[in-house]
Amino acid sequence: MTNFKIAEPQTIDQVTSLTIDKKDKYKLMAGGTDLLAEIKDEIIEPEVVVDLKSIPDLSYIKKEKNGVRIGALTSLARLAEDTLIKNEYPALHEAANSVASPQLRNMGTAGGNLCQRPRCWYYRDPQVKCRKKGGGRCFAFRGKNKYHAILGGGLCYIVHPSDLAPALIALDAEISINSPKGNTTIPLTNFYTLPKINVRKENILAPNEVLREIKIPLIKKEEKSTYSKFIERGTWDFAIVSAAVKGTVSGGIFRDITIVLGGVAPVPWRLTKAENIIKGKKITEDLVRKATREALKEAKPLEENGYKKELAEIVLYRAVLSLL
Amino acid sequence: MRKKEYFADSEEASLLYREEFRDMKTEEPEVAPSPEKDKFEIIGKSTSRIDGEKIVTGRAPYTHDIKLRGMLYGKILRSPHACAEVISMDISQVQSLPGVKAAIQLKKGRVTYAGEQVAAVAAVDEKTAEQALKLIKVEYKSLPFAVTEEKAMEEGAPQVRKRPNVQKFNEYTRGNIDKGFKEADFVLENTYKTAVEIHHPAETHGSVAKWEGERLTVWDSTQAIFGVRDGLARALKIPASRIKVIKHYMGGGFGSKLGINDYTVAAAMLAKQANKPVKIILSRRENSLCVGNRPSSLQTIKGGVKKDGTLTALYLKNYTSGGIGRGDYCSEPVVDLYKCPNVQVEEHSVFTNTGASRPTRAPGHVQGTFALEGFLEELANKINLDPLELRKKNYSTKNQGDKETPYSSKGLNKCYQLGAEKIGWKRRNKRPGEGNGKVRRGLGVASQIWWGVGRAGTQADVKLHPDGSVEAICGTQDIGCGTRTYMATITAETLGLRPKDVTVKIGNTEYPWCGGSGGSTTTPSVAPAIRDAALKAADYLKKMAAEKLKAKPDEINITKGKFSNKNDPVQSIGYKKLIEELRKERKFRREKVFHGEYVGRPSGFAYNTFGAHFAEVEVDVETGKVKVLKVVGVHEIGRLINKITAESQIIGGITQGVSTALFEERIMDNTTGNVANPNFRDYKIATSLDIPEITPLIVDTVDPRINNLGAKGLGEPPRIPPAGAIANAVYNAIGVHVREIPMTPDKVLQALKRKEVD
Ligand SMILES: Cc1cc2nc3c(=O)[nH]c(=O)nc-3n(C[C@H](O)[C@H](O)[C@H](O)COP(=O)(O)OP(=O)(O)OC[C@H]3O[C@@H](n4cnc5c(N)ncnc54)[C@H](O)[C@@H]3O)c2cc1C
Ligand code: SF4
Repeated sequence: MTNFKIAEPQTIDQVTSLTIDKKDKYKLMAGGTDLLAEIKDEIIEPEVVVDLKSIPDLSYIKKEKNGVRIGALTSLARLAEDTLIKNEYPALHEAANSVASPQLRNMGTAGGNLCQRPRCWYYRDPQVKCRKKGGGRCFAFRGKNKYHAILGGGLCYIVHPSDLAPALIALDAEISINSPKGNTTIPLTNFYTLPKINVRKENILAPNEVLREIKIPLIKKEEKSTYSKFIERGTWDFAIVSAAVKGTVSGGIFRDITIVLGGVAPVPWRLTKAENIIKGKKITEDLVRKATREALKEAKPLEENGYKKELAEIVLYRAVLSLL
Repeated sequence: MRKKEYFADSEEASLLYREEFRDMKTEEPEVAPSPEKDKFEIIGKSTSRIDGEKIVTGRAPYTHDIKLRGMLYGKILRSPHACAEVISMDISQVQSLPGVKAAIQLKKGRVTYAGEQVAAVAAVDEKTAEQALKLIKVEYKSLPFAVTEEKAMEEGAPQVRKRPNVQKFNEYTRGNIDKGFKEADFVLENTYKTAVEIHHPAETHGSVAKWEGERLTVWDSTQAIFGVRDGLARALKIPASRIKVIKHYMGGGFGSKLGINDYTVAAAMLAKQANKPVKIILSRRENSLCVGNRPSSLQTIKGGVKKDGTLTALYLKNYTSGGIGRGDYCSEPVVDLYKCPNVQVEEHSVFTNTGASRPTRAPGHVQGTFALEGFLEELANKINLDPLELRKKNYSTKNQGDKETPYSSKGLNKCYQLGAEKIGWKRRNKRPGEGNGKVRRGLGVASQIWWGVGRAGTQADVKLHPDGSVEAICGTQDIGCGTRTYMATITAETLGLRPKDVTVKIGNTEYPWCGGSGGSTTTPSVAPAIRDAALKAADYLKKMAAEKLKAKPDEINITKGKFSNKNDPVQSIGYKKLIEELRKERKFRREKVFHGEYVGRPSGFAYNTFGAHFAEVEVDVETGKVKVLKVVGVHEIGRLINKITAESQIIGGITQGVSTALFEERIMDNTTGNVANPNFRDYKIATSLDIPEITPLIVDTVDPRINNLGAKGLGEPPRIPPAGAIANAVYNAIGVHVREIPMTPDKVLQALKRKEVD
């Protein structure tokens, strides 16, 4: 671990006015559960760690007339315990509850969870300089890739590790970003980028931009949602495959449905094709399985991760049926 | 074939197991012990750990907690290459960093795995030491390597050691295997695979070294204080008499801390150079690389059976990889567990450029049992026999691998009976996989054999003080199993006192000699030695009491703090009173030390422990996820010494067994040469939610001759059968054997596909 300084900004503007003259000079820290591990393992070596926790009032869950607003610094534990979220956005509740362990949920934040770095073991190996770290090759492509992407790969085959992201995208969440260029609000789904856009990053943020807030629209009548996460052991594990499903459903038929898979691609993976097949039809196990198969035709498994394709079908049909 | 190094790596330590247990006979005891007649009040019941409160309140000092005045922190530079030549090294820059007090080069020539130590530094704090490592300049010439078994076995693969990568190290034959196959009604052949596991004790490895002139004191997280002392003496070329090794408490070892470690030697060398104490604690990552692992195995078993279930032949071919170490003997269960006239075994090492293996809680038996028990399950199905019946049918009362020697005691049949009742064996699927639905249940069984004898020559003292207080002293170490507690109970039982009246002293090489705590030897070594000492102390006290009571010493009974005349129980004197009077009469004014020893056991018998585990599982046939619901672990261990700690031992063994059956696997990457998962995020260990309902049961028999208590060891036995029982339960649930651990969902799904094809 190299030495670094801690900056304690009092406002977000102090962060966005930082001049980024060289890469890795500043790193923003929320709960630090991921960032500090990266520093300790010497994956990154920032000169200054900017502690977002010193900025007041970034931790809140508020219901307003056009939606629910969640501050980026809200802890995952708070998110998981909140009754409004639990009652109205079960997908988000279940996703938050499925993250890591109680200790990590106490420290980790919603914003940090959306911005966390990948868990690819080559990326996390201080001795390996893969493409994501500025090297020339992806070691996972022909290496140990049981946990890697079956969709959206190319150049880099990480899976996005966040559980909140698929759930929030399914819930049509938007995020507000404070940036030196001004503040913007964009759909969360537009936040994430594939390796082919920039292999070194997973999202559009620049080092001095801050994810400030998450907004979720009010739920519609008969809207239901769920997040189903398949892991290898009983708890404290990243998703092998997860599925966030939201829709308005009555009489065994979805009038509209949104499906987002986690654990299968470098970004949360929307399954539009499957949605279209399922919409308006009487739901059966068979229908959902067929729809998933159809949608996953484009999947390109690597040597060791083909089973994820099968699992996606199971996880998804079970999630959809659970909403009936 | 032994490495000319002093370290507990690979061959040395694992050979030690085999030589001691299988090939080495002890001296004949002058008087054969006859422990069956003894009736006890405390022994065999549950006594809570006498140090339990200290441990759970965080006041028990572990090696990690040692902090000495002026102590420096040492860090080790490790090779980033799986194979390379160290061309040059420059450590001179290190001293320019303020706070750095010592630096040493540890390696010249070839490094053979990523993580091998090459240099070390000591500085005033950990961070400075870490930074100092970056100032060491090492020029490597990297060389081709093979870190996986598949790669190492390929033709033309880079050679790991100065010999072929694949090398036979064990052969065994009895009877005639071909004849055995001819006599069989059915012959079956299958291949079973087990992954490399890492010990990962909660407390990582570490040592603190301190010199006072020519004398060296080392605090070490070790299972073998005397082993560390003698290893240090050899490595540093100083007399053992000048070295003291201390270990108060430790957070697990499981075989990875059975001898001297290279970082301990480095700590001593740095401490000498700096003239200050040096502490080296390994990180979790280092624990994944260089302090041992359980070798993998790839075992093909071919067996023949008659229609009625009689085994006619068992053939095993094993490829085992312990990195640069030899790998494990996995054939013992095939050779000994069941009666079979024709057995043939060949075992091969597969060398890879990874850290050397070390004994891992029941080395070889865990892998061998998984394969053998899986094979028997499939064989039973082949002939439509209840798998438990197949095992009973081939019950052996002799250790066939040990020249057909009869077992001194064997309670396996009783284990089968108790376990089958407890789990409800009748509930199992009569035909594997006959259930339907997405989630299916199954039951499985697996048996176990292990040694469990003591080390002859183990010594212990019981010391009586003129104020009536008592000490029990032995140079053993409590590696978490409750050694302190039974030393207190045995001494108390023998002297008619309560465990809390006894002060226990262990964990210091200045105390009487005891071997390392490995191979399930600690209880059967220490318990008889302390019993011997306590009996001598009791004899002395009886003699004294007899004088007072005007009786003969052998007429004196000791119970509940009282000495009484057997023939006339009204005639009695209390322990305190007796000591007080003796003191007043000036007969007992100085402390009295009674020396005990475990001398050995009669030859002509095989001494083994046995057990059977029964597991119930639930398998999601769509996702391949296995959930273990219940495990009943039944063991025959001779006399039970302390019920509650014995049960803990079984629960711990099953917990580790579940974890390795379902999750644990060290993953090597052939491109980088590194361990892909050197952390607890990617090296998956069972969480509390994965642990099933566990029922430990103990068949309390008394071995008539193994030692003066009739007690065998229990350290390893409960670690042996869980994976086999669980895999067999999975088979019973889904109708196909996974034949590989860990049984992760991808592998279960693959096995289910095999079923579809079959
Ligand atoms: C052992 C382990 C298991 C885990 N298991 C799971 C799991 O199952 N599911 C899951 O989803 N996650 C899991 N995680 C990840 C964990 O949820 C994240 O570490 C946590 O959510 C990150 O939040 P944080 O506040 O600590 O972020 P930090 O560590 O502080 O930051 C993480 C990253 O986000 C950036 N960042 C943080 N906040 C902002 C912001 N507001 N604006 C811009 N950038 C920001 C930081 O610069 C940094 O790069 C696991 C982590 C560990 C260590
Ligand atoms: S998947 Fe991405 S992070 Fe992993 S090795 Fe390939 S390029 Fe690096």
